[in-house]
Amino acid sequence: MKKLTLASTALCALIAAPALAEEWRPTQPMTMVIGFAPGGSTDIQGRVLARTLEEYFGQPVNVVNQPGGGGAVALTRFLNAEPDGHTFMFGVQLGLTFSPIVTEVAYEIDDFRYAGTLVGGQFGVVAAGDAPYQTFEELIAYGKENPMTYAQQLPMDEAIMRIIAEQEGIDLAIVPTGGGGGMAPLLLGGEVDYAFSGGTHAQYTPTGEMNVLAFLTAERSPFYPDVPTLEELGYPYAIDDFRSFFLPGDTPDEIVEAFENAARFAVEHEPFVETTVENTLHPIVFMDAEETEATIRSIREANEALMAQ
Amino acid sequence: MPRSDFWSGLAVAAFGLLALFWMIPNYAGSNPFAQMPPGLVPSIGAWAMVICGVIIAAKGLIQMLREGAMPLSADLHWDAVGWAAWPFAYVAVAIWFMSFIKLTWFGAFLIGGMLFLLGERRWWMILGCSVVPVVLLYILSVYLMRVGVV
Amino acid sequence: MDFSAVGAAASEALTLASFIGIGGGVLLGYIVGVIPGLSRSVAISIAIPMTFYMSPFIAISFLIGLSKGTAAGSAVSAILLNAPGEASSAATALDGYPLAKQGKPKTALQIGLIASVMGDILATIILIFVAIPFARVALMFGPYEMAAILAFALVFIAGLSGGNIFKGLAAGGLGIFLGTIGLDNQTGLPRLTFGYTELMDGMPLIAVAIGTLALSEMFVQSEKLRYDRENMSVALKKDADDRITMPIFKRILPTILRGTGVGTFVGALPGLGPSVGSFMSYGMAQKAAKEPEKFGKGEPKGIAASESADNAVIPAALIPLFGLGIPGNVSAALLIGAFAIHGITVGPLLLRDNPELLYSIFAGMILASLIMLVLGWYGLMFFAQITRVPPHVVIPIVIFFCLAGMMLQGYGTFGLIILMAFALLGYLMKKYDYSFVTFLVAFIITPMLELNLRQSIILSRGNWEILLNRPIAMFFIACTVIALVALIIRTFKKEQAVANAPAD
Repeated sequence: MKKLTLASTALCALIAAPALAEEWRPTQPMTMVIGFAPGGSTDIQGRVLARTLEEYFGQPVNVVNQPGGGGAVALTRFLNAEPDGHTFMFGVQLGLTFSPIVTEVAYEIDDFRYAGTLVGGQFGVVAAGDAPYQTFEELIAYGKENPMTYAQQLPMDEAIMRIIAEQEGIDLAIVPTGGGGGMAPLLLGGEVDYAFSGGTHAQYTPTGEMNVLAFLTAERSPFYPDVPTLEELGYPYAIDDFRSFFLPGDTPDEIVEAFENAARFAVEHEPFVETTVENTLHPIVFMDAEETEATIRSIREANEALMAQ
Repeated sequence: MPRSDFWSGLAVAAFGLLALFWMIPNYAGSNPFAQMPPGLVPSIGAWAMVICGVIIAAKGLIQMLREGAMPLSADLHWDAVGWAAWPFAYVAVAIWFMSFIKLTWFGAFLIGGMLFLLGERRWWMILGCSVVPVVLLYILSVYLMRVGVV
Repeated sequence: MDFSAVGAAASEALTLASFIGIGGGVLLGYIVGVIPGLSRSVAISIAIPMTFYMSPFIAISFLIGLSKGTAAGSAVSAILLNAPGEASSAATALDGYPLAKQGKPKTALQIGLIASVMGDILATIILIFVAIPFARVALMFGPYEMAAILAFALVFIAGLSGGNIFKGLAAGGLGIFLGTIGLDNQTGLPRLTFGYTELMDGMPLIAVAIGTLALSEMFVQSEKLRYDRENMSVALKKDADDRITMPIFKRILPTILRGTGVGTFVGALPGLGPSVGSFMSYGMAQKAAKEPEKFGKGEPKGIAASESADNAVIPAALIPLFGLGIPGNVSAALLIGAFAIHGITVGPLLLRDNPELLYSIFAGMILASLIMLVLGWYGLMFFAQITRVPPHVVIPIVIFFCLAGMMLQGYGTFGLIILMAFALLGYLMKKYDYSFVTFLVAFIITPMLELNLRQSIILSRGNWEILLNRPIAMFFIACTVIALVALIIRTFKKEQAVANAPAD
């Protein structure tokens, strides 16, 4: 199977070689696959992105939702997509960096190509504005004296907090929440002491009701330049998630390149940037194809190490 | 309706037992850290089905014994069963079709065929009722929702 | 109240787009309501996929307008056909049909319409004034209270929506079981998915809702066609005397006010629903009347009592929804799904974080009532014609829209198979008298219930005494137990009465 894939890639490259001079352009309407149900933040971003791409490629872009399993269903079906650039996915990396660790899925990172990242995550740890601790250090100090409760949203952030609590000798109870919408009432109602936030905090930090104590991402958030990351605080853990273009595994280089340029165009395009930042509260992060794939692989390794503990 | 109570109660209880002794132990998973195992809530649902199903069936049985009725009825009207069943078969075939052809392309025949089977014979009625909804769907999916033809 | 937000809300409610959206919802609801056999929840479940790309405000107002429209429209077929478009308008037919037969169909329709609109507007105003303070109080509810209230709502719905508590609980049990399918919300590991990636997010709500509500109902209806194809609609004639007059209006006004009160009360309690409200109101109007023997023979008060309560239930059912995030009936449960699709969590935080949206929805609801009045008044002739559409024409078209609605969701063939399975389940539940309402509500609230239960268990660290400091939670746990015992006793008593009665 692998040999065949290689051979066909080579064949494609051969055929495509003369056309390299000019950038690849679609010749028929395109289909954008989104691995989530309509209405979520990925879907909202994706639909604005579709308009942006129409402008860039000059072909209509239809959006198809294939919800299920945090993107796993869409990725599974995407295995059979034609590698001609007319079907592509705007996807969340969690389907590649986390789902394969905990469940059996039919795909692997090697089965797809990655043509550029557009949107970043801003996972963080938050506390209520009136809590007796305003930084992560104060939280740890407070936790050594008092039993603490933490509201999780992903298995990874639960694992990180469990490890830190063990290391620092904190008596920690961890509760699940139904996503960001469920976290806010728990934290603001004083039922839990601190919580994970996937982006919900952006709604509450301007009023001072919530405080970001630390970011779980590898780098600081551009919106909160003063808040440190966990790694800076001396805990060598990070979880990240980016939204990128996925293409079928046999897609020729020139198409990948065209999508990379499309991503470059989109992150500068006013409507897309505005929707992403203001409506869905996600930062714009651009990465080229190579960097995207490297990031996915390193996040996957980090998650594997974390879940093994 | 003691007879239908009896059989439906048995079916509910049987499904509950299946869930309790096969589905939940094998597929619910476990969580060593959690104070509440993932199988707890499904088990509550399954127990509710088992207990209530047994009570419904038992009450039906007692009433049947009192009335001297038999658990199975001989006067089953096959044509009535057939009449109730054909729409299910019709829709099931339509769903099978939908894995090859888009609904929009054969939707008119789907509606028209069923109208005919339900006894409609006026051709203009069949034509109008089958074409208009399909056109509406086409406009909705292609122009308003932009998901392409479904 | 924040007046700038109210002003902004009112201006949003008055844009052309919202006008078209809400008006379209009411019109569609009216038509659905008029067609016997097409019920409110059928319409909402099929309409949800259509609202994806409307703004959240228009989408929700469209759906609420739709439910309001069905409540008003169902009076038309109750009066002209003696076959209520909704079960909740059955009480309307008791007096509406006789009055229509006496040559006053238009009067009957106008009484029904005015009672509907008044009940609707008054209950909406009550909703606005109750939901906001209620939501403030409800913000103090933690996981303990929520778990207790959800358990109470579930038992209450199980007992009241069907006659037999055991069948209700069995249906609820199935709903709970199926509601737990999907990724475990703490570990992220699949639970009861049997290896299907498609089930990782749970059974798709739209498939379950369209299957058990809409598609199965079409199978039930087509089965009925074998025995009953009659369609005898009272025709409207030109008759200058056949209209509502001031004396009639003055006579029925107190009845409308009482009906609104009853409807609002019943609507705010989970599980009772519009049928209970309209019959209760009808009974009370009959008791209060000077000439109770006139009821059932074309008494305008009977129509007014039933219709005002029927319509008042719909806004009132949103009180627990906006206040606590708990659905009181199937339509409200479907609205939770619709909100979720638009990324909004319904509940007390909605008022805090999204006051403009909430005020816009309220403004939209009032607008919907007014549109309903205009549409109903001037569209009388048109809606009267719809009662002549025979059911065998409706069935294939609705089946088509069920399949189309599912395809629009993007679940593919898998979704269609699930849809078919739930249609079969819904058909069997209707046939054997298991409450599919309880099943669906249990299915929808199980994830919420489980999450709150799990949070309570973890936060209490296994220490039950913590409940002593939670009087509200204790109160609802006590209510749940009392309701359960009372409903079981009631079921047994009823069976006893049936068993003792001479066999027929």
